[in-house]
Amino acid sequence: MSETQGALGVVNLSAGDPNLVGEIKELGGEEILECIQCAKCAAVCPMVLAGFPFFNKKVIQAILLGLREELLEDASIWACQSCNRCTEICPRELNPFEVVQAMRRLAFREFALPTMAINGLKSLYDTGHAVYMSGAGKSREKVGLPEKPPSTIADEKALQELRTIIRNTDLADLGIIPMGD
Amino acid sequence: MKIGFFVGCNTAFNRPDLEQAVRYAFPALGVELDNLDGQSCCPSFGTLPSVDKVGWCAVSSRNITLAEEKGLDMLTVCGSCYGSLSEAKYKLDSEPEVKAKVNELLEMAGREYKGTSNIRHSYYYLFNELGPDKIKEKLKYKLDGLTVALQPGCHSLWPSKVYFDKEDDTFHPRILKEMCEALGATVGHYSRLLDCCGMGALRSTDMGKALGLVEKKLVSMKEEVNPDLIVAGCSSCLIQFDTAQKILQKEKKINFEIPVLHYMQLLAICLGADPEQVAVLGETNVKSVIDRIREKQ
Repeated sequence: MSETQGALGVVNLSAGDPNLVGEIKELGGEEILECIQCAKCAAVCPMVLAGFPFFNKKVIQAILLGLREELLEDASIWACQSCNRCTEICPRELNPFEVVQAMRRLAFREFALPTMAINGLKSLYDTGHAVYMSGAGKSREKVGLPEKPPSTIADEKALQELRTIIRNTDLADLGIIPMGD
Repeated sequence: MKIGFFVGCNTAFNRPDLEQAVRYAFPALGVELDNLDGQSCCPSFGTLPSVDKVGWCAVSSRNITLAEEKGLDMLTVCGSCYGSLSEAKYKLDSEPEVKAKVNELLEMAGREYKGTSNIRHSYYYLFNELGPDKIKEKLKYKLDGLTVALQPGCHSLWPSKVYFDKEDDTFHPRILKEMCEALGATVGHYSRLLDCCGMGALRSTDMGKALGLVEKKLVSMKEEVNPDLIVAGCSSCLIQFDTAQKILQKEKKINFEIPVLHYMQLLAICLGADPEQVAVLGETNVKSVIDRIREKQ
């Protein structure tokens, strides 16, 4: 940890970023201060079972401590399955998933991004599909379907409509992917 | 009866046999499908939902307006689509300021989100609108003697507050079980039933850890149920269970293979669909199970 002083693992509380909680609240983690660190969310989280260093409870704790760099340096938040077991079980109704999502949104604004996030967005803008497999036409025809599904892939007007919308979202302001016609 | 079919990326491009299964089974049960022409990605959680709430809800709601303008509900077979669309709808319907901002964006595309269409999940829709008994009447083949293990999938269950079709208790789901029993299957319980399969963001971030999750589930299924077939309620779970087994075999983590189908594929087969169209793109050996089912006429 960058702000650690003294013995390994000791966190200097006064060195935390006091603005972090406010930013997370702005980005969709409105209820973060409701957290009492009871860990019911961790008990049901697939990321805990899989062995990731950061997961819902620890992400919330790190945000409350203002540990911005530590959070941005770790890729764990990108492994969140958005499964919402935590939201379902949270006794404080604080939606831990929304806090993890807010942390991702903050990472976007700091350009602390995995390539898969950029690739997914680029594919979404270019084709209308985050997951697009250009060779899929053959397997579609094999099972008796038209080469293209009835989506933006087969409908230029719909694709332009989608792009118009995306060009007017925060993503465009961030300039992370090229947005041509 | 009619519903708009939201196909979703993975179903359209990765497992179009599942898309074909839906296109067979719903009309066979008397439910007409609308194509919702011009649909896009839901969008998946790793994309716009991870950038900002309004952008997420704008793309979701553009899809939802395709159903609204036809006066239809939307049908999904993918947990991520079901989750992303349902969560966006919940935000749009409960946060007026989000709805107002989203409608400003939609106006640029000549659209308006009203909130008149519901997001439905394939087998929940059939359970609630038709019921198991009506489905039983239409079956050409039954699964009598076949033992299955279930993979309901995260997004069909949680967060329950955003979903139209609900379980009585999401940590003890019963609808997929009853829908499989309606086909004549014996459904075995296993202790890791509710575990996540590891597909999705977790697999994109760390393949090894994702395989660890699906391995735990497979071993639990094998030891406690020893099923003839895994039945998934979600297209992502289908892909994970279907593709992970060969990898785990190569790594000597498992020494067995259990065929995997999505519930809609299994239903389509029981309704008489051609297996070459509705259950042919997987890696696991589903043919042996399907042959058994079709021999039993």
